Amino acid sequence: MSSTDNLSIQAERRATRREALIAVRPALIATFTWGLVTGVALVKSGLTETAAVAMTLLVYAGSAQLTSLPLIAAGAPLWLIFAAGLIVNLRFLIFSAALQPYFQSLPWYKRLAYGYFTTDMAFVLFMPRFGEAEIKGTDRQRTFFLTTIVPGWITWQSSSLLGIALGALVPTQWSLDFAAVLALMAITIPLANSRPMFVSMLAAGITAWVGQGLPLQLGLLAAVVVGIVAGIWAESALRKRY
Amino acid sequence: MMEQLNAIDWYLYGAILLLALCTVLARASYHLFGHRVPLGDGVRRALRYAPAAALTAIIVPILLPWSEPDSMTMVIDQRLFAAIVAIWLFQKTRNVLIMIIGGMVAFWALRWFLGWW
Repeated sequence: MSSTDNLSIQAERRATRREALIAVRPALIATFTWGLVTGVALVKSGLTETAAVAMTLLVYAGSAQLTSLPLIAAGAPLWLIFAAGLIVNLRFLIFSAALQPYFQSLPWYKRLAYGYFTTDMAFVLFMPRFGEAEIKGTDRQRTFFLTTIVPGWITWQSSSLLGIALGALVPTQWSLDFAAVLALMAITIPLANSRPMFVSMLAAGITAWVGQGLPLQLGLLAAVVVGIVAGIWAESALRKRY
Repeated sequence: MMEQLNAIDWYLYGAILLLALCTVLARASYHLFGHRVPLGDGVRRALRYAPAAALTAIIVPILLPWSEPDSMTMVIDQRLFAAIVAIWLFQKTRNVLIMIIGGMVAFWALRWFLGWW
């Protein structure tokens, strides 16, 4: 490869990085707020500061972390915490399936890293730009993706750690564990964006309320099954009507 | 670093490691193993409803707990009312921070009021 080729590649990468940074910047404010709230919620829901730091750094999934807090507080069995974590993360399985072609030529540890650091934000910024690309897996595409996930990770982790530090200063009597429930609601409410989805969530909510006396918090799994069935039923019932 | 891990620590760190595994499995499965298991339309549809159902199922028993095991009677306290205030604020403003702060203020005010009552 000649040095002029090399230079033009470098210049192109710089331009792509600049484009990605401009695209990601507004989303980082939301990421920061979320990280802060999640960090506070972790220490106020019974985790020690060390455990909260470990969870933030290892799990790197706000909705799964917030979901696990009431389960951990109730002493739910580990397999159920695992199942609940997997279920709220399912959207990432769809993301992974869509993103896989862009990274398939890389060695396995790089594919693992790109997958692990994928966020909602990175996916939402990436797909409108490169979803219809004829060649998938170009240097420009990967540079763009990398330049959105790195600031995302730094922002999330620093705001979460700040939240953990601030949360540790606040007295327990403030009941900030309720802020974790509110944060969970803020994730959940926007999901009720269609009638079948609303039916599904209503059915799941009723099942969860009736099933809260079940051992091992099996009401949660029952609610998920009922929610899926109700959603699919509502979808076809509404389609027949119109 | 020589502290003894007690049962609670094992449980807590076990949960954290399993949740980290969830992250890897959900985000990197297709990256690592390719499209060996195709994601059909039926599966995609089911996957769309599962997370919202799980999140709803976590929240409902916190806001509306039974007063005693097997009683099927509700406890209605400040949490439910504060949640309603929070939902209202969120619908009005679409701002997560306003929702959480407003919900907490409602929670504190109602707790103080119910205690005083």
